[in-house]
Amino acid sequence: MSKTTIPKGGITADAIDGTLIADDAISEEHLDATAITGTTALAETPSSTDELLISDGGTLKRIDFSHIFNTPSFGVKLSSNQALTDGTLTKITWDSELWDTDSAFASNKFTVPSGKAGKYYFTTMGYTDGQDDGEHFFLAFYKNGSRIFREVGWTAPSTNTGMRAMASVTLNLSAGDYIEVYGYQNEGSNRDISSDYAQFSGHKLVGV
Amino acid sequence: MSLTNKITVYLGRKPDFLKEVLLQDDGSGPYIKEWNITSEKAKPTDSQLNALASEATKLGNNNVIRKTRKKSYGDIGDQLDLLYKDMLAGKGDSTGEWFKKIKAVKDANAKE
Repeated sequence: MSKTTIPKGGITADAIDGTLIADDAISEEHLDATAITGTTALAETPSSTDELLISDGGTLKRIDFSHIFNTPSFGVKLSSNQALTDGTLTKITWDSELWDTDSAFASNKFTVPSGKAGKYYFTTMGYTDGQDDGEHFFLAFYKNGSRIFREVGWTAPSTNTGMRAMASVTLNLSAGDYIEVYGYQNEGSNRDISSDYAQFSGHKLVGV
Repeated sequence: MSLTNKITVYLGRKPDFLKEVLLQDDGSGPYIKEWNITSEKAKPTDSQLNALASEATKLGNNNVIRKTRKKSYGDIGDQLDLLYKDMLAGKGDSTGEWFKKIKAVKDANAKE
């Protein structure tokens, strides 16, 4: 193969294109680390449509960051206290969104968007007071309208006390599945779950 | 008045509201989600439960009074200490301080 003489003045911009270089002719030995270190640093979290170059089974492909973000992700809370009916699993009406990356939280529930099936991690917490005599307080996750028994029940001592409850769960979900939170207490009359402590959040897990 | 009190009056006892009878509120008020004691008594209709409203209210009010009384009685250790002192003074009867305190709480919080 004959060598090409580089013209005086060097090679003009974009002069080397696919017509001059055979497929797969450029390998790693022809690349210098300055291809990365010499470029401008992003210096912030990439946006969901920023791209990486990867080898997918030996084939170069580009991939959006959206595929390796822990999204969809959401966080919600109560804007005011909510009464929990005595001895009744009561749906928590989360009315204040903290964040919602995919607009997947609405009507007190998180719904898995189309194309976002996979494993999700959810956590919730709350506080109520005035419990005693072995009364209970807990928060329960519901999937598609049915309770899933992943909560931890708390039992009050003999004297009135405030009780905190937390629950977390990892679920393998399909598009359209929805998750809600219900609260339970049996103090003998309605008791509030405090807006100061109540929160429900979740996000998709990547790589599992 | 609460659905739990109506069901308690209907059954004549307080059931386990996490196993025997499961109540749920999806935002439109509580309802019976599961009734797992059919062998003991059939699941009540709404009209059957509504007919027990006044008794259920009384039960609820008395539960509140019971809790108020309990709180007012004070720590059980302090009560035992008071009883001990009464007995030491030969007043282990209705002339003692413990009895007076308990009676005052009961009188101030009479059940219906």
